[in-house]
Amino acid sequence: MSENIYLPHLATIAEMRDETADIRSFKLVFQDEKVRDSFIFRAGQFAEYSAFGAGEATFCIASPPTRSGYIECCFRSVGRVTDALRALEVGDSIGVRGPYGNSFPIEEFYGKNMVFVAGGIALPPLRTVIWNCLDLREKFGDITIVYGARTEDDLVYKHELKEWEERPDVNLVKTVDPGGNGPTWNGHVGFVPTILEQAAPSAENSIALVCGPPIMIKFTLPVLEKLGFSDDAIYTTLENRMKCGLGKCGRCNVGNIYVCKDGPVFSARQVKAMPQEF
Amino acid sequence: MAKVITEENLRSLIDLLIKAGKRVIGPKRAGEMTIYEPLASGSELTPGTLPRRSAKEAFFPLSETILSFQKDRDGLKVDDVDTASFPETVLVGALPCDAAAPQVMDAVFSWDYKDEFYLERRRRTTIIGLSCTSADDSCFCTLVGLSPTDTKGSDLFLTPLAGGGYSCEAVTDRGEQLLAGYPELFTEAATVTPIPAAQPEGAPVDLAKVKVWLEEHFEDEIWEEVANRCVGCGACAFLCPACHCFDIVDEGTEQKGSRRKNWDACAFSKFTNHASGHNPRDVQNKRYRNRFMHKFKYYDDKFGKTLCTGCGRCIRYCPVGIDIKGILEEIGKKSLSTKDTKGHEANHHG
Repeated sequence: MSENIYLPHLATIAEMRDETADIRSFKLVFQDEKVRDSFIFRAGQFAEYSAFGAGEATFCIASPPTRSGYIECCFRSVGRVTDALRALEVGDSIGVRGPYGNSFPIEEFYGKNMVFVAGGIALPPLRTVIWNCLDLREKFGDITIVYGARTEDDLVYKHELKEWEERPDVNLVKTVDPGGNGPTWNGHVGFVPTILEQAAPSAENSIALVCGPPIMIKFTLPVLEKLGFSDDAIYTTLENRMKCGLGKCGRCNVGNIYVCKDGPVFSARQVKAMPQEF
Repeated sequence: MAKVITEENLRSLIDLLIKAGKRVIGPKRAGEMTIYEPLASGSELTPGTLPRRSAKEAFFPLSETILSFQKDRDGLKVDDVDTASFPETVLVGALPCDAAAPQVMDAVFSWDYKDEFYLERRRRTTIIGLSCTSADDSCFCTLVGLSPTDTKGSDLFLTPLAGGGYSCEAVTDRGEQLLAGYPELFTEAATVTPIPAAQPEGAPVDLAKVKVWLEEHFEDEIWEEVANRCVGCGACAFLCPACHCFDIVDEGTEQKGSRRKNWDACAFSKFTNHASGHNPRDVQNKRYRNRFMHKFKYYDDKFGKTLCTGCGRCIRYCPVGIDIKGILEEIGKKSLSTKDTKGHEANHHG
């Protein structure tokens, strides 16, 4: 076929890591050298990953575009496809279609302070931006990361949290829900919106990026508003169910907005203007 | 002068097209109903009544392979699909509501990324439309800007004549070529008397006003009123000539299998269900609202087209009697009285 838009590239699982008991991340290297060079993406874009025989699933590209030669993804085992992906081993092949969707307007953030707010498995879509910023560190002002999960064990990218914690140029505020802390926990205890309010990052010349479960986003937006962030200074990603990722299959829409094409990155102003069905 | 073809010669044309290697799809009797199916010969053509299912399967099969894969000692190999294998097709006897639908669907499959599965089948298909002479009370093409004699989407258009046979109008170059390819089958007539066209009940609806009303009534009690009884069977989407939503699934094992594109429906409860269990359209009336909005607002917002040709199948075969025509008429009325109320009242009562 001249151009089969559903045909994935083959990639090899170069490394894998268990982030939690049921969340695993892959480092993937495209098998075709030409694809390795031509697969250019921006922070915030997503891809369709396939375990052949089981199907495709949609995840963000979790690695930053500032690092080439590979991409990373992170997923929780919750169904047929993610269980099949989890059953794969280092060296096995998976399919990758993408990159799809819009992205964070990183260049517009140059010179600004960055505030990242993430909950649970929603760190990966922000991790790509965090590393993008850290790899171009001199272009950004203060970097604050507020990240929480239900329990200590549920935090993903724990080794990187440690790295960020130790960096003098990053302010990491980590938290677990009440009751989720073990005896050696040295972070905060409380829900993300509450801890964000206590951390109170300045809204002055700042951009806030928020990713998390719908309930977390719902309670985080008013906190950011209280801190003085305007709706244009707040960005989030919508994680609607997708199949094609190409604006055809008709399931990711919120009103007349196709999340796969018009998103997944939206400003709080855009989200508020949508029909409230997401 | 009008070009005319007899009933017998139309059947001969089908035979000649089949002999020339084309797949000819047309209304064919299947037990109690008619369906669009590949015809084995011209004698199988059963024109006139609206077939049970739409003709969209000619371009957008219910299920089709989009790639196949195999794992062996050398690793995983993925095979593409050869579009050269798609058959040259003539769709004959498509009523205007079915003939017009592909032109609507073209927009979604050709914007930005090109879906060559659909587009190549479209390129390889000639449509011989047929003027509609019998409407039932579910028909509403005239409400959505079409008509029983609309040639939209047809390459060649047939109008049944009172004395038998059809007058033929070439709508496109492709239609001209078809006429020119088989001159012996067509005659010229000075005057023709068509069988009167069907007359669906109901007045045209101002779709632009309906859209404005929908924009302002995403939250409205009408959605619960009309759709709480929806059982989510998806028959409406599967019978619809314009519904284009699909799923992508793998069949086989990790050793060997294929990936397929299958019809899907926004009425299904799992259609938008997230991996986390969160579902943006968690109840049936939200799913029905999406179906209605997609047809009369979202698709128009995006592509400037209405995703409905008024065939009425979703009314005729809905197991719980959801009546999209009635809903459209009701919203059409509401849209007149909510927008620019003063001006409208002045027209009627002033």
